Formats: sequence, C-alpha cells, structure tokens
Amino acid sequence: MKKILNDPASYVDEMLVGLTAAHPEYYVQPERRVIARAGGATAGKVGIVTGGGSGHLPVFTGYVGTGLLDACAIGDVFASPSAEEMAGAMRAAHGGAGILRLYGNYGGDVMNFDMAGEMVEMEDDIASTTVLLADDVVSAPPEEAEKRRGTGGLVYAYKIAGAKAEEKADLAEVTRIAQKTADACRSIGMALTPCTVPQAGKPTFEIGESEMEMGMGMHGEPGIWRDQLKPADAIVDEMMERLMADKAPAGRVSIMVNSLGATPAEELYIMYARAKTRLEAAGAEIVMPLVGRYATSMEMTGATITLCHLDAELEALLKAPCDCAFWRVG
Amino acid sequence: MSGFTAADLAAAAARIAPVAAASADELNALDGQLGDGDLGITVSKGWAEAAAAELPADLGQAFLALAKAFQRASSSSFGTLVATGFMAAAKATKGREEAGWDEVGALLSAARDAMMARGKGALGDKSVLDVLDAAAEAASGKAEPGAILSAVDQATDQALEAFRDRPNRLGRARMFGERSQGLDDPGMRAFRRILDGLVADR
Repeated sequence: MKKILNDPASYVDEMLVGLTAAHPEYYVQPERRVIARAGGATAGKVGIVTGGGSGHLPVFTGYVGTGLLDACAIGDVFASPSAEEMAGAMRAAHGGAGILRLYGNYGGDVMNFDMAGEMVEMEDDIASTTVLLADDVVSAPPEEAEKRRGTGGLVYAYKIAGAKAEEKADLAEVTRIAQKTADACRSIGMALTPCTVPQAGKPTFEIGESEMEMGMGMHGEPGIWRDQLKPADAIVDEMMERLMADKAPAGRVSIMVNSLGATPAEELYIMYARAKTRLEAAGAEIVMPLVGRYATSMEMTGATITLCHLDAELEALLKAPCDCAFWRVG
Repeated sequence: MSGFTAADLAAAAARIAPVAAASADELNALDGQLGDGDLGITVSKGWAEAAAAELPADLGQAFLALAKAFQRASSSSFGTLVATGFMAAAKATKGREEAGWDEVGALLSAARDAMMARGKGALGDKSVLDVLDAAAEAASGKAEPGAILSAVDQATDQALEAFRDRPNRLGRARMFGERSQGLDDPGMRAFRRILDGLVADR
C-alpha cells in the first residue's frame, strides 16, 4: 500500500482534524464523527442530514454548508457510521422544524439511520423523514429501481433540497422536493483502476493494463461487466445510451461528469464534450453542467456521469445560492 | 397488578451478562462457520454494556438505554437488530414505570415484527426471528413470570431442534445453504444462551 498516512486506524479522524482546521468558517465538529455547519442549526429551518462512509470527498461531509446540508455523520472508509453518530448529526442539525435524512441506498446505512430516527424521536421528540438516493442504473433493472444504490445523484439532491429548506419550507415540502430530485437522477460509472481501503491495505480488485470496469459504484467494488479499454467517445456513448434508455431526456437536463478520484479534469472535459453532443442530439437542453470531483472513491481512476432531469421548480432550486468549502453557487 | 419495572430489567441484564461473556467463544466459532465469526463479541459486549447501563425508572427510557447499549457495543447488523427489538419494547412502554407480566408475549411479538421489518427477514428463514416468534407464542396468555420463563425455555429448545437440519435463508449464512444444515443458527443459539442467564439459578 502506497498512501500518505500516519496510521490506517486514525485515517478518518486525522482527516477530520485537517478538514475543520482548514475551513473553520464552514465546519465544526460537535462530536467525534459529526460535522455540522459552523454557525450551528438555523432556527425554524428543516435540518438536512446525511451520512455514510469516508473515502468519497467532497461527498458526504464536504457538502455541509449554506443552501446544502446541515450536518453529516461520518463512518470509516466505505463503512456506515453508527446509529448513535447519526443521531448526533440529527441533533446538531435540529432547528425546531424537523429533520430530513437524505442519503444513499445502502443496507447498513438504512438500518442505522432508521434506528437513529427512532432514537431522536423517542429522546428528543424530533420528527424526521427519509429520502434515499437510488440513481445508479446498472445496479438493478428499472422494475427493481428501489434496490439501486445511490451515487452522484446525491449531490443534486443535497443542492436542490438544501435550497428548498433555506426558503424555510416545511418538512413535508422539503421531503417532497428531495424525493422529486432523487426520482429525476440517473447515474452510471466506469473505472480503469481500483483503490485501496487504508485498513485493508490491498487493492479492491485486479484489472489488466488494457481493461476497464463498466458499471462501477463508488466503493471500489468491481463493476457489472469488464471490457477492453476504448476511446473516450466510445466509453461515453455506451454510458449515455444506458442513461438515456433508462429515462429519456425531454427538455432541460443538468449533467455531472465526475472523477472517481484520480482521473484528471482534462479527461473529464474530453468526456463532457462527447456527452453534450449526445444529449443535444437527443433533444435535451443542458443546464448548469458540473465537471470535476464531486463524489469520489478514494484514488480510483474512472468517472461517473449523472443526469438530473429538470422542470422549472427543480431548475430554480439548482441555481439558488449555496456555499461550502467545495462548491459555491451564486 | 403484577408486573415488572426497570429494576427487574437491570437485574436480568446483570444475570445475563456473565453467561453471555462465557459463551462468546462458542458463538464466535459457530458464527465463523457461516459468517464473519464475531457474533460472540457482539453478544458479550452488548450485554456487558447493557448490565453497566444506568436504567431510568421510565420503562420506555430503560428499554431505550438497553437499545443504545447494543448499538454502542457493535454496529454489526446483529447488534442493530437487537437494538431494534429493544426499541420496539421502548415504544410500547414509554411513560410507564411498570408493565404487566401478561404483556411479555406482546412485547416479544412487537420486537419480532420490528426486527423483521428492519432486517427484511421472514419467519422460516432460520434466524433469531424464528426463536423470538416461538418465545412470543409461548409467553402469550401467561401472567406469571415463572410460567412464562419455563414456557419460553421449552419453546426455545423446540425451535432450535426444529430448525437445526434446515438451511439458512437469511443474511450471510444463506450463501452457505446446505452447509448450514445440521448446524444451529448462531443467532438462535445466542438467544438460548441469553435465556440460560435467566434460568441458571432457578
């Protein structure tokens, strides 16, 4: 294992020390594994809480900020936080108007977050709702869409639901918008190399020089199928065809071309150029494209593409102001 | 009315904890044949935390403290499931300092249902749910603690016997299919050991 670290066991805790030290204007750490907004919870605003394993920055923790999330519970690399840590994040986010739990559809996270919801309801009388992102189209067929895992669509859901909450909309309304955004997102991923989880010390899979994994998630897992490496346009064509077959673009769409960690911006822009051509050929109009590192998988080489199908309501919220250490709009 | 209080829960946890600790190796070994081999750690650490927990007089808050003890001890899915069971009991007893012995059957049923919903498990899959189901049925309609305990004791043995030769269909153990036939389900065995703590000195 070749990594810049001191001790695999303290990898996440040392990362959090640095994150909060570098950006004290955005983040505070009220508990060991909870990051909240520097200004604390906003009175009268629905709190939006997320959580999940480390290894994905800026997701999940990075998106705590104005117009985005209120707090985040942080697990070890690719591991769920505990229910107590999630309950801690919910308390830190509580401004008296209830909590939306907004996170990716992974078994361990769902069990623990449901438990956390019961705990804060019982102890603190905090009402909460859940919206799960299940946007990865290759992880289950359309008829079992509720079993899909959550990936890049999380970023759109944080942004759009976060903007709605900032308007002081009530919990039911923020939940409705978050679900509408989750339903509007479709993602797919591909990878050229695996990653190494610090505490495991070994790459998550092996792959030949001339091969690529298609249908990757964001936990270093192998993809759904393996193929010979192809030119960028052919890779993007296959990804776009699968995304558009799952939900045809009709009107305005935002697209995210996201690096899984090690893929440089240059290659993302090569991909974006092709994706734009394909989307426009299908009759879509692109709104606010996002190209960069949004939801990573440690140091994997590879990329994900997410489409967020917009209507006027979602588009206005997507363009509303937000501010965190990793993303500013307006 | 005859019933139980948070002090009874604390006394039960104190009796179960040493028995759970003594069965840690046995449960780890059994779990190691079908899963990741840490069930004994979850069960012994969970009951140690439960026995050490300060239990408030409100029964709902006391059950909640037990749920949190298990959650603290282990974020494994078994720890979360046990916590879920205690949470179901917490909801049913919130705001009361005493619950009737005749409610034990209903509390076990509530725990079973909540654990089924959270773990997406079904009865008949050969899991801790099956033994809880048998225990709930055995306890229902009874209002005397001694009668409840001996009925649950018997029903637990019968459930272990009835499921031993069937394949596991839930969790990681289901991937071992036939290899799980002839072995007790580790979660069911864990329930047996917990009960051992309660019947030990009777």
